[in-house]
Amino acid sequence: MKHGKKALAFTLAAGVTAVSLLAGCGAKESEVVIYTNADDEAIEAMKETLDENGYEGKYLMQSFGTSELGGKLLAEGADIEADMVTMSSFYLESAEENNDMFLDLAFEANALEEYPAYYTPITAQEGAIIVNTEMMEQNNLPMPTCIRDLANPVYEGFISVTDIQSSSTAWLLVQALISEYGEEEATNILADIYKNAGPHIESSGSAPLKKVRAGEVAIGFGLRHQAVADKEDGLPIDYVDPTEGNFSLTESVAVIDKGEKTNALAMEMAECIITKGRAKLLETYPLAVYERETSDSEHMSAYPKVFEEKLTAELLEKHQQISENAKALVK
Amino acid sequence: MKNKQKEKEIKWIFFLVMAVFLIFLLVPVCRLFLKSFEGKEGLTLAHYREVFTGRGFLTAFAHSLVISSVSAVVTTILAFVLAYTIHYTNAAAGYKKLIRKAAVLPMLLPTITYGFAIIYSFGKQGLLTQLFGRQLFEIYGFYGLLLGYVIYTLPVSFLLVSNTMEYVDKKFSVVSRIMGDKPFSTFIGTVVRPLLGTLGASFVQCFFLCFTDYGIPASVGGEYEVVATVLYNQMLGSIPDFNTGSAVAMLMLLPSVLTIALLHYLEKYNIRYHKISHVEISKNRIRDVILGIASGLILLCILSVFLVIFVVPLVNEWPYRMEVTFEHVKNILTDKSLIGVYKNSLVVAGLTALAGSLLTYGAALATARSKLSPKLKQAIENISLITNTIPGMVIGIAYMLVFTGTPLQNTLAVIVICNVIHFFSTPYLMIKNSLSKMNASWETTAILMGDTWLKTIVRVVTPNAMATILEVFSYYFVNAMVTVSAVVFIAGARTMVVTTKIKELQYYTKFNEIFVLSLLILFTNMLAKAVINYVATDRKKKMEESGL
Repeated sequence: MKHGKKALAFTLAAGVTAVSLLAGCGAKESEVVIYTNADDEAIEAMKETLDENGYEGKYLMQSFGTSELGGKLLAEGADIEADMVTMSSFYLESAEENNDMFLDLAFEANALEEYPAYYTPITAQEGAIIVNTEMMEQNNLPMPTCIRDLANPVYEGFISVTDIQSSSTAWLLVQALISEYGEEEATNILADIYKNAGPHIESSGSAPLKKVRAGEVAIGFGLRHQAVADKEDGLPIDYVDPTEGNFSLTESVAVIDKGEKTNALAMEMAECIITKGRAKLLETYPLAVYERETSDSEHMSAYPKVFEEKLTAELLEKHQQISENAKALVK
Repeated sequence: MKNKQKEKEIKWIFFLVMAVFLIFLLVPVCRLFLKSFEGKEGLTLAHYREVFTGRGFLTAFAHSLVISSVSAVVTTILAFVLAYTIHYTNAAAGYKKLIRKAAVLPMLLPTITYGFAIIYSFGKQGLLTQLFGRQLFEIYGFYGLLLGYVIYTLPVSFLLVSNTMEYVDKKFSVVSRIMGDKPFSTFIGTVVRPLLGTLGASFVQCFFLCFTDYGIPASVGGEYEVVATVLYNQMLGSIPDFNTGSAVAMLMLLPSVLTIALLHYLEKYNIRYHKISHVEISKNRIRDVILGIASGLILLCILSVFLVIFVVPLVNEWPYRMEVTFEHVKNILTDKSLIGVYKNSLVVAGLTALAGSLLTYGAALATARSKLSPKLKQAIENISLITNTIPGMVIGIAYMLVFTGTPLQNTLAVIVICNVIHFFSTPYLMIKNSLSKMNASWETTAILMGDTWLKTIVRVVTPNAMATILEVFSYYFVNAMVTVSAVVFIAGARTMVVTTKIKELQYYTKFNEIFVLSLLILFTNMLAKAVINYVATDRKKKMEESGL
């Protein structure tokens, strides 16, 4: 029986340790928790802004991938741990529609465009064609100038794009094609691009850049600022602003409505990021979003453009269908 | 009187195990089941209709069945070869030890790195491509998936097969040979046949690991669409839709229904033996050399894929700036937030291992060493299978839907529970297999001699099963260290673990840092295994000294 006692004692001790360890994790509840899907550069800019304005140590910033944070917003609603989020605007809209979970912003943002009362953009991110210069040279590929060029059969096996079913980065490409060539022709061009991309139709928005970097493909379509960063870093990466236009999607800040438990600091921090942090953010994401801003950065894209229709979930669904039709054409 | 007592104890254990699964498996699964029928105006079949009319669902489903089956067969055969080399040849003891260690190595690394590892090894600019001077095979599509899945599932398969082989009575082979059987029929009759149950179980485990994995197809799936990708696009695509996603998840449970039947059938092949016999393995140089080389080749292929993980972080920017640097290693290891997440990881892994071992042992005692009714036992079997057939992403989302707003939200406890449930299947099979191989009459003998059932379990069964229990402990530990698919949804800002950190880095495409963290996890796991091994041998010695 000695063994049994020992085992029992061990189990009990372990249980006690477990409970005390788990209980110890609830400390520092007053910190504002910020969930974000933003890129490294944007997170750095936001952190610096908050720290410079006296919020150092008063917040906890946690980053997620777009899809994971999208899932969390949808599933957890206002019960989410975060007091404030920064996220692709479009997901914030569907989260609000499903869960009615955000507070109206308590400050005047003065954006150039009109946005719902519960969010305002932190960044506008543009799409561009990204190339691996060494791969282009090695394979004697002509430099593309527009998205339509990517449908050229010479690029077969050298292209990577994102699937609009899984990532909204692809929407930047689809918008450009539809606005320039109309839905029907866009479908055909898209079909040829998909044919060229073959196994490199990716589910993650950052995957084409990864494949370009790894030398798996020569050309990808992705977020422009990421390619700019790589190029400045000295990698054999360059980018092309497509003549159809650099379309853009915004990421925005929103504050969660937690009723009585709402942390008042969260709204203050959101305001701080918008009023004091935009200058820093503009360095990486040069597109002007607010009235007081001018776009004069050296990183400005050549053909900034906005889709004529409002970017809603219904529109995305419609464009997804166009993309699916294009895929069916390939087969 | 004694009989009644015995029934009582095992029943308590049984109900405790069932209660855990009721709350943490059945409730979340039912929540998703309901979700798949929820419409704006009451119940609807619209989501299922959408799934079936959507482009390519049936093709993707068929692809998944094919690639998962092929991978499972290949993996099981490879695992069999490795285990056979260990248990049935006279290969050097050191070599056998090496096989044991190397075969489970892939399990010690996060699966999130497999896809990158394959691309960075076999891709156009990959390490192995450069070593061989040409691309060995097309990595996108069927063969890329096959390679990824085999690497992913080999450790599990090897653990199951090798574990059971240990308990197969080698004397039968001797008898069979003396009786004049041809070598082939000896092999089939005394090695394969007793292992059929385990080989079947291995096939099933591997099949579902492949069937439900999302990470490998996301990296190397190419145009070979699989159902896990469909699930991901529906659940978390650019328009996240839990209703349709849940419908896909429910359809993905279908193969498990068939499997429950298959396993039930294979169950009768599990044979009991009185004791592990140590028989001198007959001398056969040719056999030893052939199997030794085969095992060596299998492991070399697998380990070479991981070579790149050690190389990439030590150069400036693979493949274009190849000068050696320790900058990446330094950067990531001096990140202040890392200490916190690392501590969380260790706590989660330790507690998962502890709670997991208790739960699987309790469940296995109920099915393998009790006289509970077959129906109750079958319930545990089915649960075990279901835990294996639910993709991690689905568990994570279901947990969010169910436990948000409860005190469990954003605690380490919910991560521990999630891991224990998610990884229940393989360790449960390991313990059950070893318990059912032990002599069935121990309890009866003990009771005749006046010991209670509990006493027999504590004094006789547990010490004999300790090797497997420790194996289970370490299985849970390393899996809790490497898993991410479910955890990423239920970890809060204060309960992040190392793998969720890797996931973050993945979005910033920082491969160097990802590989450094993967190595950190690898070394932690190796250390943990070494400690557990030490405890195991230390305990064994003590047992021998005390004459047990």
